[in-house]
Amino acid sequence: MLSIGGQDLFVLEFGDILHYFSPYTLTLFLLAVLFTGLAIISRPEEQIEIAFGGDAYYAKETTLPEMRFRRFMAIACGLASIGAMVSGDLFNYTLFTSMVGITNVGIVAAVKNRHVLNAAYAYGIVAMIATLPLFGSAALIVATTGTLSIPALAAGGQAVPLVGKALLVLGVVGEGMAPFYAAKAEMFRAPGAPYVIMCSLSSLLIFLRVVEIVTTI
Amino acid sequence: MIVSRISRFISDYQNLVALFAGACILISLFGILSLPLAYEENQIYPKAIDRTSALDPYDRGGTPFNTTTVVAQYPENSPYLGYVTAYLTPLSKYLADHTLHAGTTIVSHPGGIIDEILYNTRGLDTVVETSILLSAFAIASYLFRRTE
Repeated sequence: MLSIGGQDLFVLEFGDILHYFSPYTLTLFLLAVLFTGLAIISRPEEQIEIAFGGDAYYAKETTLPEMRFRRFMAIACGLASIGAMVSGDLFNYTLFTSMVGITNVGIVAAVKNRHVLNAAYAYGIVAMIATLPLFGSAALIVATTGTLSIPALAAGGQAVPLVGKALLVLGVVGEGMAPFYAAKAEMFRAPGAPYVIMCSLSSLLIFLRVVEIVTTI
Repeated sequence: MIVSRISRFISDYQNLVALFAGACILISLFGILSLPLAYEENQIYPKAIDRTSALDPYDRGGTPFNTTTVVAQYPENSPYLGYVTAYLTPLSKYLADHTLHAGTTIVSHPGGIIDEILYNTRGLDTVVETSILLSAFAIASYLFRRTE
């Protein structure tokens, strides 16, 4: 078994769905837990804009409902990435990944700003299209191999078709495309900070995890 | 030169949708060219359609009021496997035995192999699916009810 994850340290069972903690997934899991904790305790940034050529400046307040909603979405996104990091089941992983995508849409869309909302709309389209290759790959792999468990796929002799892996990577790329839009909408500073950082982090984590999955199965 | 043209194209986020759609088309073409893919007969979650069954469109698998073997990837993790397959009430059992209409009343008959899979062996999937629905509804209601 070619493995970049290392030996399993601990396996958490939910029926047929195993969550396995190898040194690789454990590292990603701890990162996700850490950043979820940071999202819980952090306060929104307040932006101050200075009018050029004068003494005037104005502060942009984040209203309490908006702050609450974005914090909720950031925490949900963190929990989904925590689940995706250790999930040992292909369909379970795709579900967690699509939940990451949906909560990323929520984080970006909560900012009341015209160009941010345009970016969120474009990202929502990509995230919606991406569910097709994402779940398509899981369906293809279960049809051609008969199982969804990653340890069973890694140990068994069934060959996972290359197109299944390609579709999985494509789906994860589509779901994790949020940082492009967030960066384009220039919301890493004040309009979305600090909750927007959850977009980048969850995308990075699901990319890192899909590399491990594709090389393992 | 080519790099700057590519980066100029990617820098507009409206183009990313087209880029992603192009990647989808390419990989789908690759998938079509790699057909046929062999279907594995030894499925862990089998689906059999019995057109002659009285419960036909919604036959949930398993025999009511009897033991049914349910296949699981890790049977040692599901000690109560096969206990929820007795899924017809005596009245609906009578209806199923004597008429052909009981199959349309899916809502009143939870159970069967489908529910063994949904709530027992793959229960976490069901939890995550409902969480996705919850967050999607939360976003939709927040955006809809937001005051301008």
